[in-house]
Amino acid sequence: MLMMPVLDLQFGERIVTLMAALVLVLQIAMVSQRWIVLHIRIFAVQSLFLAMIAATIAWYNHAPHIYIAAVLTLIVKVILVPILFERLVTRMEIHEEIEPIVNVPLSVLIAGGLTLVGYVVAESFYRPDAPGVGHNALAVAISLFLIGFFTMINRRKALTQVLALLSLENGLFLAAISLTYGMPLIVELGIFFDVLVAAMVLGILVYRIRETFESMDVSRLRRLRG
Amino acid sequence: MLLIALLLIPVATAAASYFARRRAAMEAVNLAGFGAIFLVAVALGARVLAAGTVSLANGFFYADALSALVILLTASVALICASYSIGYLRDDQQSGALGDDASGKEQLAQLRMYYTLTPLFVFSMLFMAVANNLGVMWAAMEATTLASIFLVTFYGKITSLEAAWKYAMIGGVGLSMALFGTLVAYYAGHNLTGSDALSGLNWSVLAQHSAQLDKTSMRLAFVLILMGYGTKAGLAPMHTWKPDAYSEAPIPSAALLSSALLNCALYGLIRFYILTSGCLGAEYPSRLLLLFGLLSMGVSVPFVLVQKNYRRLLAYHTIDHAGIMATALGLGGALGSLGLMLHMTFHTIAKALLFLCAGNVYQHFKTDQFSEIKGSVIRAMPLTGVVFLMAMLAIIGMPPFSLFQSEFLILRAAFDGGHALTGVLFVVFSAGVFAGALLHVGGMILGPGGDTPVAAPRPWRNGSLLALASSLVVIGFWVPAPLFELISRAARVVSGQ
Repeated sequence: MLMMPVLDLQFGERIVTLMAALVLVLQIAMVSQRWIVLHIRIFAVQSLFLAMIAATIAWYNHAPHIYIAAVLTLIVKVILVPILFERLVTRMEIHEEIEPIVNVPLSVLIAGGLTLVGYVVAESFYRPDAPGVGHNALAVAISLFLIGFFTMINRRKALTQVLALLSLENGLFLAAISLTYGMPLIVELGIFFDVLVAAMVLGILVYRIRETFESMDVSRLRRLRG
Repeated sequence: MLLIALLLIPVATAAASYFARRRAAMEAVNLAGFGAIFLVAVALGARVLAAGTVSLANGFFYADALSALVILLTASVALICASYSIGYLRDDQQSGALGDDASGKEQLAQLRMYYTLTPLFVFSMLFMAVANNLGVMWAAMEATTLASIFLVTFYGKITSLEAAWKYAMIGGVGLSMALFGTLVAYYAGHNLTGSDALSGLNWSVLAQHSAQLDKTSMRLAFVLILMGYGTKAGLAPMHTWKPDAYSEAPIPSAALLSSALLNCALYGLIRFYILTSGCLGAEYPSRLLLLFGLLSMGVSVPFVLVQKNYRRLLAYHTIDHAGIMATALGLGGALGSLGLMLHMTFHTIAKALLFLCAGNVYQHFKTDQFSEIKGSVIRAMPLTGVVFLMAMLAIIGMPPFSLFQSEFLILRAAFDGGHALTGVLFVVFSAGVFAGALLHVGGMILGPGGDTPVAAPRPWRNGSLLALASSLVVIGFWVPAPLFELISRAARVVSGQ
C-alpha cells in the first residue's frame, strides 16, 4: 500500500489528461455542430466529463470539497440546464439548422489555432514540481474559454450563443479545479447558483425574442444604433 | 448587526412586494424598505467613521470607508428612485404605457415585477460592497446583471428585447473574464494562505500580503479584471450595451444603472487595483487605467456631439464619466484618489437627477428625440426645465457646482504627477462633451416655444427632483463634515496611505 501512491498519481494524471482531451474534442465538435438539439446534448456530455475530472482530482488530491463541485456540475449542467433548453426547443418548435457566420471547416481550423494559443498561455503556469494531479488540464481550460468566445461571435441564433457562453464557463470551471483545486466552497455555490439563474433568465429572454421576432436570429436585432 | 440588516431589508422588501396584492401596498413596502436601507447605510457610515472597519462572520462581511461610501451612495439613489417611481409608474399606468388590458391584471403583474426586482437589484449591489471574499463579490456582480435584465425588458418592446440581449451577452462575457481574473488572483495568493482556506480569497487578507503575491499571475489577473468589471462600468470599447440599456429601461432603473451600478463596478475594479499596485507597484495598473479611461472619454465625445436622443446622450455621458473616474484611479496618489471619491459622490447625485428630469420630459412629451420635442421644456414644465438645465451644467463641470471641483482636482493630479498628455487630453475631451451636451440639452430646454401646454402636477416625481436638486446645490458649496471625512478616508483606502 505504501508504494501505491506514486503509481496511483501517474494513473490519475493520465485519466485526467484523457478526459480533458475528450472535453476539448467535444468543444470543437460544438463548433462544427449544425443541429441545435445535438448541440445541447454535446454540452451535457462535456459537462459530464468535467464532473468526472473534478471527482478524479478530488479523489487523488484528497480534496473532499471538490466532490461537492462535481455533484453540483452534474445536477446543474448535466441535468437541469440541458432539460430546460431541450424543453425550450420543443416549445418553440425550432427545426432550422444553426448557420454559423464562418463556414464549418474554417471554424474548426480557427478552433485548432485557439487550442494552440491556450497551450502557449498555460505554459507560463506550468510547475512540474507541484504535487497532485490535474495541472495539464489548464491548457485545455484556456482553450475552452477561447473557443467558447469564438463560438459566441460565430453564431447567429440566440440559444446557441447562450450555449457558447455556458461552455466558456465550463472552461473557467476546469481552470479553477486545475489551478487551485477549486475555489472556496461558498464561492463555488455562488457561481453555480448564478449559472442556474442565468440559464433560466437567458432561456426566458430567448423565448421572448423568438416570440416577438418569430426567429432567434440575433442578427435581426439591429434597431438600436448610435 | 448593521451589515445583516443592510442585506436582509432589501430581500424582505422584495418578498413583501412579491406577495402584495395591490399597487398601493407595493409602493408603500418599497418606500419603507428603501427608507430603512438608507437609515442603515447612514448608521453604517457613522460606525465606520467611529471604528475604522466593520466586519462580521469571521471577516466574511467587511466594510471600510470605501465600502461605506459606495453603500451610502447606492442607498441614497435607491431611496430617491423609489419615491420617484411611484409617480412615474402611476403615470405609465394611466397613459397606457404598460399595455391597456381591461382587468388590469397584466399591469399589476408588471408592477409586481418592477417592485420585486428593484430591491433584489439593490440587494446585489449592497452585497457586492460588503463581500470581503472576491469570489462572492463576483457572484454578487453577476447577480446585479441577472436582477436588472428584466428591468430593461420592462416595456416589452422589440427594442427593449434587443437592449436586454446585448446587455446580457456583453455583460456575460465581461463577467466571465472577471471570474477568470478572480481565479488567477486566487492562484496568485493561494500558496500564502493555504489552498482551500476560506480566507484565501478575502480581500483584507490578500491586501495585507499583497507584496508577496505571485507577480506574473497578478499581471494577468488585473488585465482580466479590468476588461471584466470595466465592461460593467462601461469603459470603451466594452461600452456598447450602455446606451441601449439606459434608453430602454424605465427611468428609475436607468438612474440606478447609471449611478449606483457604475459605482459598484468601479468599486470592484478599485479593490483589485489596490491589490495589484501593492504587488507590482502603481505604474502597471495606472498605465492600463489611463489608457481605458482616456479612450472612454474620447469615444463618448463624437456620440455626444451628434446625438439625437436625450436618453442616449445621458448614457454616453455616463461612459465619459466612467472614463474620468478610471483616469482618476490611474493617476492615483493622494490627489487622484480624493478626486476620484469626490467625483463618484458628485456624479452619483447629478446623474441620477438628470435621469429623473429626463423621465419627466419623456412622460410629458412622449418622445426621446430632441427633434420631436416641440416647444421648450422650460415653458411646459418650469421646475423640470430649470433643474434639468442646472444638473446639466453641473455634470459638464461648470463652477460653482461640485463636479468642477472634483474634475479640477483630477486635473491637478495629472499635471502634478507629470502626466501632462493625460491632462491635455482630459481637457480636450471634456470640452467636447461640454459643447455637445450644452448645445443639445440647452436647445431642448430653452429653445423657441411652440404651443406650450401647462404640465399636470406630479408630486412624487417633483418632490424627488427637488430633494435631489437641493442636495446637488448644497453639496456644491458645503460638503457636510462627516461626509467629507468618509470621502477622504475612502480616498486613503484607495491610495493606500
